[in-house]
Amino acid sequence: MSNLGIPATAPTRIRDLTDEAFRAAYGCDRFTASVIVNRLKYAVGHMSTAFLREAFSPIIRDWYDFACTISGPPEQDYRTAVVSNSLTPFLGTMPDAVRNTVEEFGPTGLAPGDVLICNDPYRGGTHVNDVLFTRPVFVDGRIVSFVSMRAHQLDMGGTVPGGFSATKRDVYENGVVIPPVLLWSKDQPVRSTFSLIFDNTRWGAMLLPDFKSIHQQLQLGERLVRENIERYGPDAHLGALAYACDTSAELMREAVARVPDGDYTGAARIDADGMDDTVDYTVHVTLRKRDHDIEADLSGTSAQARTCINCGISDAKTALGVALTMLLDPAIPFTSGTWRHLDLVAPPGTLLTALPPQGAPMMFWEASGALIAAVFDALNPVLGENAVGGDYGSTNTHNANGVRQDGTPWTSATQCGGEHGPWGATKAGDGDSYTVLFNLNNLDPATETIEHDSPVVMLRKEHAIDTGGPGAHRGGAANLKDTLWLTDADHYLSPFRTREPSGVGAGGGQAGPTGAMWIFPPREGTDGPAGLVATAPDVYADSIPVAGVLDPETKSLDPVNGTYHHFASRKTWRTRAGAVLRCLTNGGGGWGSPFARDPEKVLADVRDEYVSIDGAARDYGVVVLGDPHFDPERLRIDMEATTALRRARNRG
Amino acid sequence: MSEESRTTNRPLPVERHPMQGTCPRCAAEELRGYPVNSEGGWFDVVKCQSCLLSVSRDRGPRLGPIRLLSDLL
Repeated sequence: MSNLGIPATAPTRIRDLTDEAFRAAYGCDRFTASVIVNRLKYAVGHMSTAFLREAFSPIIRDWYDFACTISGPPEQDYRTAVVSNSLTPFLGTMPDAVRNTVEEFGPTGLAPGDVLICNDPYRGGTHVNDVLFTRPVFVDGRIVSFVSMRAHQLDMGGTVPGGFSATKRDVYENGVVIPPVLLWSKDQPVRSTFSLIFDNTRWGAMLLPDFKSIHQQLQLGERLVRENIERYGPDAHLGALAYACDTSAELMREAVARVPDGDYTGAARIDADGMDDTVDYTVHVTLRKRDHDIEADLSGTSAQARTCINCGISDAKTALGVALTMLLDPAIPFTSGTWRHLDLVAPPGTLLTALPPQGAPMMFWEASGALIAAVFDALNPVLGENAVGGDYGSTNTHNANGVRQDGTPWTSATQCGGEHGPWGATKAGDGDSYTVLFNLNNLDPATETIEHDSPVVMLRKEHAIDTGGPGAHRGGAANLKDTLWLTDADHYLSPFRTREPSGVGAGGGQAGPTGAMWIFPPREGTDGPAGLVATAPDVYADSIPVAGVLDPETKSLDPVNGTYHHFASRKTWRTRAGAVLRCLTNGGGGWGSPFARDPEKVLADVRDEYVSIDGAARDYGVVVLGDPHFDPERLRIDMEATTALRRARNRG
Repeated sequence: MSEESRTTNRPLPVERHPMQGTCPRCAAEELRGYPVNSEGGWFDVVKCQSCLLSVSRDRGPRLGPIRLLSDLL
């Protein structure tokens, strides 16, 4: 037992406790504890649904860029027991964020009806656009819980409208920092705090109704918690919170114990920061596993970046928990207890543990996502069939702004780059081809809303052929997206991992290829392209390369002999009306030997144009005859040639 | 920018301070003191470097290495 009352070990499994012991530990019987936890999950689900329905901001409404949690009181160290089904960078950092915010403000200074906010990445993780809203729940004059939300605000000031850019050099360029302050006091709005925000954001009129909705959802969450307490009593409520965290801790403890003792090292690399391309950044992790504990040491990780591609310690800790949950037991509920048997050891001032004022975090999930890749790199070799292929590595974020013909400004954030892409394959099957990074969990904005909100036309949004890492189970296919911009625009583009594959193979599977970005200027004397830009390698010669390792002459992908193009070689990519932006993500990693893939699955992939006829022979040793584009129903496998090809490859 | 002329930003190490004593679980004489971040935030720990037992575990500064000027008020 530590001096904080946190059990260092769990000598008796929760399910092995007698009914009397369970009641003594958790203040209620085990059935009631499960009912209360599930009612709290309903509460955060209800809060989320209501906010999603009411929100005006597109990044909340269309991306689901918010989360809801329920935490314990100060006596329980604010442990987060229940989280909504949303993005893990929020859910994993909110335990620290709530505790640090309330402790700095002072829990004794809180009153019923208060809403405390904070958006400082160093106090609570993520970036300044993500504002934490937390509300104490009082019963008989005592705080028994906090209901909390974190929601991305479309703009929080700083030098880049919308905020998503790797080019900002310090916290002063990043955006306004809000320390722990009240936004509502006893359910009355605090005008000075609202004014502080609205005087610094470009989109205050959009934020105001969303803030009001958040206030409503926090009141809803409080009401649902109080209903539980009225029905089951405060001891049962507090016991259920502890039970939820202990369950996570116990399951993670048992999952860790199944990994062989040892020291495992892994690494991942980010191409460059937003200053220039002279420096890249390595994330290095050593996982020291003993019995049921893991110590993750980030020694060897690069010093913090010169621009805002860093993240803070809470983000790194979240990524560690996400990676281990995914690899060891995806069924473990994500609570504060996830980290009870995990210690993160981290030198201050790295890419993953950035310090103010120079180590600004904005594109934080890219750095923390690289830590997930490094953990996969470390553990995949010892996980056998449970190894998992890598994902597309970067959201390749697009952020743009401009002015319509009628003079009204517009901002488009995280919609028109390579924000969505593939996962790697697993023992269970092929990787998904269109989702978000391992450490995210969001929606995909609908094309209709994107085109409604900004002067843009979505020309392509499709799987790219031969981009899933070959394997017995194929990695997910890269996503190719073309957007036509109808006004002049300033773009900020942030693909961070185009130098080497992020979609690494697992268990004999092969990596998915790297992606790139290009701008196709409007044809001279016109306001746009003559038609859809084709996808063949010969279309890029007249393009402006933004990112990727490309052939110097043709400007098409050439990951072996090509030249790297730096995404911030222009801080702002200014385009004329009629320009087309093309984003190609990295491909997902394959699982298992591609020559063990069922030929019928390869045939289906050719039929669906995940794999070309040439790719089927080259990558899988399967000879497919026919025309997949114009006569797909008559495609067939040449079994004799396939057997001969696979035999020859196996000999080679 | 060629692949040969770029560099990786310098790696940083964690300092682990040697501590007197032996591990009560495995008897190793490899105790070290350093900060960790875990459930509950920052802790200053003394751990066995062989079996990872936490011999002591005390609450660390709320924001770890970051100090707020406001704390001087």
